[in-house]
Amino acid sequence: MKWIILVAAGVVPVLLTPGQLTVYVLLGLAAMAVVGLSLLMGYAGQVSLGQASFTAIGAYTAGLLAVHGIPPLLGLLAAPLGAALAAVVVGVPILRLRGHQLAFATLALQLILLSVLGGADWAGGAIGLQGLPYLSIFGFELNEDLEYAYLVLAGVVLTTLITALLVRSRVGRGLRALATAPVAAAASGVPVGAYRLLVFAVSAAFAGFAGGVYAFYVGYLAPGSFPVLLSIEYVVMAVVGGLGSISGALFGAALITLVVQLLTTLATRPGMPSYAPSVLSYAVYAVLLIVIVLFVPRGIVPTLRRRSP
Amino acid sequence: MAELVQYLITGVGVGCAYALLGSGLVVIYRVTRVVNFAQGAVAVLAALTVTTLLAAGLPHGLAEGLGVLLAGAAGLLTGLVATGKPGTTPQAALIVTLGLGVLAYAVEILFWGDQPRSFPGLPGATAGVQTHYLLIASVTALVLAATAVLFARTDLGRALTATAEDPYAARIVGIDVARMGLLAFTVGGALGGLAGVLITPVQQVTFDSDVALVVNGFSAAILGNLTRPGLTLAGGLLLGVVQALAGGYWNTSYQTEVALIFMLVVLVVRAGRLSSVETA
Amino acid sequence: MIVEVRDLTVRYGAATALDGVTLSVAAGELVALIGPNGAGKSTLVNALCGIRRPASGRIDVRGRLALVPEGRHLFPSLSVDDNLRLGAWRRRERDTAHIYALLPELTPLRDRPAGRLSGGEQQMVALGRALMSRPDLLVIDEMSLGLAPKIVGSLVAHLRQRNAEDGLAVLLIEQNARLALELCTRAYVLEAGRVVAEGPAAALAGSPEIAAAYLGLEA
Repeated sequence: MKWIILVAAGVVPVLLTPGQLTVYVLLGLAAMAVVGLSLLMGYAGQVSLGQASFTAIGAYTAGLLAVHGIPPLLGLLAAPLGAALAAVVVGVPILRLRGHQLAFATLALQLILLSVLGGADWAGGAIGLQGLPYLSIFGFELNEDLEYAYLVLAGVVLTTLITALLVRSRVGRGLRALATAPVAAAASGVPVGAYRLLVFAVSAAFAGFAGGVYAFYVGYLAPGSFPVLLSIEYVVMAVVGGLGSISGALFGAALITLVVQLLTTLATRPGMPSYAPSVLSYAVYAVLLIVIVLFVPRGIVPTLRRRSP
Repeated sequence: MAELVQYLITGVGVGCAYALLGSGLVVIYRVTRVVNFAQGAVAVLAALTVTTLLAAGLPHGLAEGLGVLLAGAAGLLTGLVATGKPGTTPQAALIVTLGLGVLAYAVEILFWGDQPRSFPGLPGATAGVQTHYLLIASVTALVLAATAVLFARTDLGRALTATAEDPYAARIVGIDVARMGLLAFTVGGALGGLAGVLITPVQQVTFDSDVALVVNGFSAAILGNLTRPGLTLAGGLLLGVVQALAGGYWNTSYQTEVALIFMLVVLVVRAGRLSSVETA
Repeated sequence: MIVEVRDLTVRYGAATALDGVTLSVAAGELVALIGPNGAGKSTLVNALCGIRRPASGRIDVRGRLALVPEGRHLFPSLSVDDNLRLGAWRRRERDTAHIYALLPELTPLRDRPAGRLSGGEQQMVALGRALMSRPDLLVIDEMSLGLAPKIVGSLVAHLRQRNAEDGLAVLLIEQNARLALELCTRAYVLEAGRVVAEGPAAALAGSPEIAAAYLGLEA
């Protein structure tokens, strides 16, 4: 199954129109951020409403470096590092929070970040960074959608592999033990705080990498590219697919992106009112999120797996 | 000096709105342990409804009152969806209210579009600031006092307090705990709606103003750990005044950060104290 | 019969907390339910009050039932008077005067927040709150736990009086078997979710097994 999907994901870009390729790239970028978020929410049991802040940090890291003449490849590599570093810095104080407190704290951090970026001249203020170069790898410039599609695919495969390794490692086992028996896990010496911080940083790095690719793919950045709603979108994707499930995260990102895309296509047909696309996509996010949380609390993928052993 | 007075008055006015919204969060949280993320959306919904009612020719007072009633109904609906299914955890309910907040976006854009809207408040100026700020403060004082009386002096209020303090005991004496939760959502929604209706004449409202509103309300309420109405009022006023001063003497774009950083500090300090108690 | 429980089975997931329990309390009867920790006594209380749904079996309640729960479970920030009033929430009765007449110890505490009272005072309020609903049967879960003998004595005296004057029936769930068997006329012994013995309290108190298991340490 895994291999079929991978092969399909590898073949599909060749068959897509330019418009569809854009959707493919955006889907892949979302998938990377959501794999990280799903890891964080599923394994560390933390609700984050600020995952898009790390996408923004990654994007701005890559963008700012590129603007200052650093080779784009270095910028792209710095994107996940910058996001992870930011996660460690804020994670030390805020990961002590739980439940709604962490939800609001992460949301607050994103709002602060957006406000700072919007007021910072060095980051282009509300207008943002424009005219970013294309990514070039050892002299080969990626200036076609198709090339970004494969770059994103590679990124998704990489984040998936890292997550799978992390889940099977001592860290994953420790965090699972923590979820089922917190007292026993703490008593047996699982360094809870350090593991949570590690997962937080890794999930931020994934989002940061997605942000880095986004910067070079789109060519401009603004605080408005990373609204709170993007964080909420990530949460919807993670919850719908199934928290703590890698395939769930990929499925959730794909399902939501495609459904919203389909509705947008329908809603932008002639005769439809101008507000139709946003109304429909908000409604889809909302209804899917509510229905899944209430009636399929484990998420779609884990529930299907359980039914068909 | 006159400047300072102006900042203080506007700060108290805006802070009152935060306190109202935060008090709604407190009422709901105490009884149900759910943080209602849709509280901001309810405020926006009420405010947008009032713009339409006023445009349709309804007199001031009636339009605002209907907006608050609608907010109460929206609060009830939120409670039904978020807690109506038995066994829903507070964490799941929080995510559901988040979803309802997004659903409100769809409804609001459908009916009112995505441009900022407002409506006139109390006209005139006192001591160099809009008189409307004084209206916000007096209505807030009145409503919060009435809410306090409701909780302390009426049977229904005592039953709400009882449910908040010990749901098991409340069930034993025959209080319908689920119904009390819905009542709390209704009262909380109305308080949020009132906040939205009061603040809109001095601060335009857009469909996505809800995030800023709910974050400010939460910041006010977190000072009292989401359970203490008095501290919520203090928190709201403090936030409003500090924001007004920061905006007036420093830079308006730092107003948001002030509230957010305040909230983060309170959260982190409290968590630090809790964990040091736990390990002790 | 005020309460008739027949073949009651209650499960928590895979674990069986009550396994085919049959038990009854007649009008005006004082019945004790004794047994060790984890025997299923609290599960039975929750099933009787409708908080726990049985897996099988029947519970028939004819008349009003009120619970004095283990651990008192008062509303700490509310005054004693408000706590009493909430006891009659279902019947919407607001007048608490008759409770102060029955339990005069409560009169000076009337306006104090329940959370500030001593354990004995709280137990008295919990009793008063249950009596506010004018019950036919009082289910009392671990009344004596952690209380001084003198206070337990006055609680027992109140129960005897209510039984004698108003025909109030009591189902007393106690770890203190000596106390329970002294007060009650009939008793059940619950172990590991089953009724292992039942009969007149005096006869049970005289049985060597019961004496050894439940009265032995104190003898």
